Amino acid sequence: MAMHLGAILDVLPSPRPALDVDRTILIQKAEASRSRSDAQILLMGDSSCLIDVDAGRLTDEIKRPALNLGTLSYLGLESHAALLRVYFGANPGQVQTVVLLMHPEALRLASPGEYHTKLLTGFLRGEDLVVRSTSRDYVSSVLGYDAFRHRIVARTLPIPLGGPYGRHYGFNADLEAFLRAHRGSLVDPDSREFRGNPEYRLAPQFQKTSLIFRAGIPSNVKLLFAITPMPATYAPPDYLTTRQQMLTQWQEWLAPATVLNLPATLPDHLFVKSTHLSEEGARQYTTALAAALRLIDAAH
Amino acid sequence: MLFNSGIFLQFFAAFLLLYWLARHHLRARNILIVIASYLFYGWWDYRFLALLIFSSVLDYFVGLGIARQTDPRRRKLWLACSVVANLTILGFFKYFDFFILSFAAVMKQLHIHVSPHTLGIILPVGISFYTFQAMSYTIDVYRNEMPPTRNLINFLAYVSFFPQLVAGPIERASHLLPQFDRTLSITRPMLEEGIWLMLWGMFKKVFIADNLDPLVAMVYGSGSYSAPAVVLATVAFAFQIYCDFSGYSDIARGTARILGFDIMFNFNLPYAAASVREFWRRWHISLSTWLRDYLYVSLGGNRAGKARTYINIWITMVLGGLWHGAAWNFVLWGMWHAVGLVTNRALGEKVRQSFISWLATICFVLYGWLLFRARSLEEIVAMTRSFANFSAPAWINSYLLNLTVFTLPLAIVEFWQFKSRNLLVPLSLRPWTRAALQGVLLVGIILYWERNPAPFIYFQF
Repeated sequence: MAMHLGAILDVLPSPRPALDVDRTILIQKAEASRSRSDAQILLMGDSSCLIDVDAGRLTDEIKRPALNLGTLSYLGLESHAALLRVYFGANPGQVQTVVLLMHPEALRLASPGEYHTKLLTGFLRGEDLVVRSTSRDYVSSVLGYDAFRHRIVARTLPIPLGGPYGRHYGFNADLEAFLRAHRGSLVDPDSREFRGNPEYRLAPQFQKTSLIFRAGIPSNVKLLFAITPMPATYAPPDYLTTRQQMLTQWQEWLAPATVLNLPATLPDHLFVKSTHLSEEGARQYTTALAAALRLIDAAH
Repeated sequence: MLFNSGIFLQFFAAFLLLYWLARHHLRARNILIVIASYLFYGWWDYRFLALLIFSSVLDYFVGLGIARQTDPRRRKLWLACSVVANLTILGFFKYFDFFILSFAAVMKQLHIHVSPHTLGIILPVGISFYTFQAMSYTIDVYRNEMPPTRNLINFLAYVSFFPQLVAGPIERASHLLPQFDRTLSITRPMLEEGIWLMLWGMFKKVFIADNLDPLVAMVYGSGSYSAPAVVLATVAFAFQIYCDFSGYSDIARGTARILGFDIMFNFNLPYAAASVREFWRRWHISLSTWLRDYLYVSLGGNRAGKARTYINIWITMVLGGLWHGAAWNFVLWGMWHAVGLVTNRALGEKVRQSFISWLATICFVLYGWLLFRARSLEEIVAMTRSFANFSAPAWINSYLLNLTVFTLPLAIVEFWQFKSRNLLVPLSLRPWTRAALQGVLLVGIILYWERNPAPFIYFQF
C-alpha cells in the first residue's frame, strides 16, 4: 500500500528498471535522449548501430561530435522516433545530421517487441511498467513489489549482468558508465555462430513507421541511412541485389533521405555474430562511415 | 518439479488436502505418499520412474532374502545383489561417459589413438540419493541392525518419499522406515517448525543462493582472473552452494514435518567449524555419515593402524568427491578434503579451537570450493595463479555491496543460532515477532521469485 501511495503522491523515486542488459541499454538511451549533449550527429537504429559504430572514434575522425542512440533490434522506428523527439526537445537547434542504421534482420521483423516498446515509453513518462501474465505477477503488482523493485531496489543495488555481458562489464552501473564514456556506443562481448535464414526483405510495416520517423526530424536536419553489414560468407548469393532493392524502397519511405555508401558485407573475422561487428570490425566500419559522411558534406 | 516453483505449491496444496483426509488410515496414507512421490519424480522425466521402482522393489526383496538366510555366504550374496545392482545403475548413468572420455584422454597421452563413443546418457535426477538410501537399508538388514520390512508399500514410500527424494537428506531406514509403520500425530509445534523451515529454506534458495549465482558466474569461467575477484567469487560460491543445498534440506525437512514425519538435519552451521573434521560433522551430514558408516567402516575404519586409517580416509573422500559428479575437479575436491582430514588426524589434540583454527579451516574449505566450482583443470590452475595478481576489477565495490546485502541475513540468523546452540531458535520468538520475521522472509521470497526458477545445485549430483 505504501508503495502505491508513494507512487501516486510522487514521493518515491521514479521507476528505473535497469535490471538486465536490454533494460539497462534502453534506460541509458532514454536518459541520454533527454540530457544536454554537444552532438551534431545522431546515430539512430538497432543494436547493429549501437555496436558497429564507435561514436567516439567517429567524433575524432570527422571532427564533429556524434552521439550513438542506437538501441535494440526489437524496438520499432516509432520508438526511435520517440527518442528523437525527446532529444530534439532537450537539445533544440543543435543536431545537423541523423544517421539511421539498421540490420536486415531487424528490417524483416513484422512488429516490434511489445514489452520493450512499453518499457521505453513508460520510462519516458515516469510510469511503472507492470506485466501481469501470471498469478504471481498479479499478487506482486497488487502488493507493490514491482514498484519496490523498479523504484527502490534498482536504484540502490547494482544489478549483476548475466552471461558474457556480466563477465565483461560486471554490473548495470558499469555498463551505463561504458556507454556514457563511449558516446553511447557499445562493444558486444558475446560471440555466436552465424546461424539463421538469410532471406531478407523490407517488411511492409516499415512504410508507416518510416514516415513517422521522418516526420520527427526537422526539415533543416539531414537524414542519412544505410543497412549495416553482414558476414561475407553468410550473405546469400543475390544479397547485393536484394539490399539495393531494400535501400531504394526504404529511401522512398524515408524521403527526403540520402543513402550512405557503406559496405554490404565485411570479412567474417570482423564479426562476433551475424548482426554485430567485433571491436576491430567496428573500427573499420566507423572509418568507412566517417569517409561516407565526409563525401556527403563535400557534395553539399 | 522444483520446490521453488508454482507447480510444486499447487501439487503440495492438493496433496495436503488428501493427506489430511487420509492421515489416520495408515495404508491409504502410505499409498497416497507413494503415488504423490512418483508423480513428483515423474514430473522431471517419467522414463526414469522405472529405475526408481526397480531399485526399490529389488532392495525390498533383498532385505527379505537376507533375513531368511542363516548362512553368512548366502547373506553376503543377497547383499551383493543389492549393492552391485544399485552401483551398476548409478555407475552406468552417472559415470559411463566420463570413464570413456577419461580413458580416451589417457590413451591420447600415450599417443594411442582411440575414438571414444559416448552415449550421451541423461542423468536421472536424484539417482545418487535414492540408490544410497536404498542400499543403506539392505546393509543395515545384513548387519542385523534392523529387521526387514514386510510391507512393500511402506518400503516404496520410504525410498521415494518426495520431500527428500531428489536431493536428500539421505535418510537411514532405521529412522525413517518405522514412521511409515504408524500413524503420526501432527502437533502445533510441528506445524510451526515445518512452516519456519520451509520459509527459511525457500528464502535461502530464492533470496540468497539465486542472487549470488550471477556474482559467481561473473568470475568463474571468465578467463580473466585476479586475487580479489577470485576470492570474492569463491566466497560467493561458498554461500551459494550452502544456501542452495541447505535451503533444499530445510524445505525437505519442513515439508516432512508438516506431514508429521521427522527427517534429519543435513547441515549444522558448517562455516562455524574450526577444523576440517568438524566441518564434515556439520556439512551434508547425511552423506558424510553414510560414507563413514558404510564405506569407511567397511574398509576397516581406524582399526588397522595409522597408515591404513589414512588410506581409508583417502579412499572414502575421493569416492565422496566422485559421488558429486563425473568430473576430475570433484575428485580433486575429495582429495583436498582427504588431505585436510588426514592432517587433522595427524595433528590430533594439538589442534585447538581458536579464531586462527577457524580462519585456517575457512580458507581451506574455500579453496576446496574453488576446486569444486571450476569447470576444468586449466581453470583451477589459472585461478590459483591469479592469487599473485592483486589488481581489483572496476566493479569490485558493486560486487562487495551485492555480496554483503545477500549474505547479511544469513549471517545474522546463523550467528544467533550459533550463540544459542539451537538451529530452531527462531521458534522461541514471541508469535507476533516470529510472524513479522516470517513476513520479512516472505517479502524477500516474492521479490525475487522467478518465472523460470533456477534448479537446485545438488540436483545435478
